[in-house]
Amino acid sequence: MSIEEQLIENAKNGKVLTHKCTDCGHLHLSTVYYCLKCGSKGFEDVLLEGTGTIATYTIITVAPAGFEKYTPYAFVVINLDNSELRISGFMAGIATPADLPVGTKVKISDFDERGIIVEKQ
Amino acid sequence: MSVTFVEKVCVLGAGSTKYGKLADSIADISTQASVSAIDSAGIDPKDIKASYISNVFGIADKQVHIGPVLMSRLGIPDKPSLTIESACGSGSVSFREAYANVAAGFYDCLLVTGVEKVTHTGTEWTTTYFAYCSDFFYEGQAGASFPGLFASMARAYLTEFDATEEDFAQVAVKNHDNGILNPKAHMQKKITVDDVMNSPVVASPLKLYDCCPFSDGASSVILCSEKFAKANGGDYVEVIGSGRGGSPAALQGREHLTTIPSTKLAVADAYKMAGITAKDIDFAEVHDCFTIAEIVDTEDLGFFEKGKGVQAVREGRTKLNSDISINPSGGLKSKGHPIGATGVGQVVEVFDQLTGNAGERTVNDAKIGLTHNFGATGASCAVHVFQSV
Repeated sequence: MSIEEQLIENAKNGKVLTHKCTDCGHLHLSTVYYCLKCGSKGFEDVLLEGTGTIATYTIITVAPAGFEKYTPYAFVVINLDNSELRISGFMAGIATPADLPVGTKVKISDFDERGIIVEKQ
Repeated sequence: MSVTFVEKVCVLGAGSTKYGKLADSIADISTQASVSAIDSAGIDPKDIKASYISNVFGIADKQVHIGPVLMSRLGIPDKPSLTIESACGSGSVSFREAYANVAAGFYDCLLVTGVEKVTHTGTEWTTTYFAYCSDFFYEGQAGASFPGLFASMARAYLTEFDATEEDFAQVAVKNHDNGILNPKAHMQKKITVDDVMNSPVVASPLKLYDCCPFSDGASSVILCSEKFAKANGGDYVEVIGSGRGGSPAALQGREHLTTIPSTKLAVADAYKMAGITAKDIDFAEVHDCFTIAEIVDTEDLGFFEKGKGVQAVREGRTKLNSDISINPSGGLKSKGHPIGATGVGQVVEVFDQLTGNAGERTVNDAKIGLTHNFGATGASCAVHVFQSV
C-alpha cells in the first residue's frame, strides 16, 4: 500500500498513522519522508487515536464541484490529542458558527470521497 | 542568503491590460500587455533576450506552453521562454527568476509577463480549479475552497486577537476606495462596511466582499541591467531587494494559524539585501486575496506587530497617503486577481508610482515601494523592494 493508502485505511478505523523519527523522536503525519527537525529518514509507525479538538474551521456555502450537495458543511483543522500534530477534515451538518465553537471535541470517523471525515465526540 | 551580484537590476518599462472579465484569449492579452511594456520601456522587441511567463490555468483557455506563442506574436520566435506556475504567486516568482538571471549577468534585458483567464469557466469551476492549488490530499479533497482556507485563518485570528468581522470589512472598503482611482481595476465601485457585512457568506466568517474577484488579465514588465537602462535612456526603477520563502503547504502543518512563514522568510531576505527595514517602506502592494490576508501580511512584513494589523486598519493607518499606503492600486480585492498576472501587476503599480505615472492614486513623495505576492495560502512567496532613481 502507498503511504496515502495506509493513512486512508487507518482513518477509516478512526486512527491517524504517524511517523516518529528514530533519531530525535519528532512526530509527523505519515506522509512526511524526512524529519522536519533533524532531516533523518528513519521513522517508526505510531498509531494515534483520531480524537482531538477544533483548532479552526470554516463553514462553506460556495463549494467546489462535487461538494454542492453537502453545503453547508465545515472544513476543519483539528489538534490531535496527545501530540503536537494537526490534521484537516470534512464535517457534515454544520450550519452556523454556534454549531462548532473552537475547542469542540471531535473525532475522525471515516475516509470517503470527502477526504477525512470528522464528527463530534 | 548571500549572493554575489554582477549587475544591478532595473525595471525599464511596465504595462497591463485592464483586469476583469475579458473576451480575448490569453495569447492575445499577454501580447497586449507585453507590447505596452515594450513601448513603455522604449525598446525594440529584438532587445529582449528571453522571457519568463507566469500562468496557472492556461489549460482552461486551451493554451498551455504560452511562452513560444507570445514570443512568436512579438516577432522574436527564436528567443527562449519559460512558463512558471506557483499558483497565485506565479507572477512574483517569475519576476524573481528573471531578476536572478539579470543580476547574474546571463541576460541584459528580459520580458516578464503574467497572464490568466478563468472567468469564462464560471464560479463553481474556478473555485474547483483554485482548490487544486491547496495540499489537495488534506485540504481540497476534504472540500476546502480557497475562501475556506483563508476563512480558517480568519476564524483563528478572531479567536486569538481583538478583532471583528467589521474590522476585516474595513480592508475591503479601503481597497475599493483606492481601486476607484485605478482605471485598470476590475471592481471600480465604492463600498461600505455594511455592504460587506450584508454580502452573501462564501465561507464563514468571510463574505463575498471579503474576497477578491476572479479576474482575467495580463501584466508585463521589462527587466534589465543598470548598464542597459542607462544606455537606453528613459525612466527606470531599481530593484534593491529580492527574497523568497516557503511554508508548509497545508495550514495544519504551521505552528501558528495566523501568520504566513514564507512571507517572513522572503521579506527578511529582501530587507537584508536592500539594507533597509520595514520603516523605510513608503508603500506596499501586498497579497490581499481576502481581507484577512492583508491584515496578516502587514504584520508578517513587519509594518505592524502580530495582532495589531487589525488596529492599524481600524485607525485608517493603511489608507492612501496615511502612515503607510497599503495597496494603492486597489490590491487584489479591487484591482482584481488574474492569478498568473497578479505578481507582475504589482510591479507595474510600483513602476507607475515611482516614475510619477500613478495619477490620482499617487503616493506622495514615495521613494521605496514593496511587492508581496504568494501562492495558495502562502505556501510559496516572493517579496521585492524597489527604489526610485
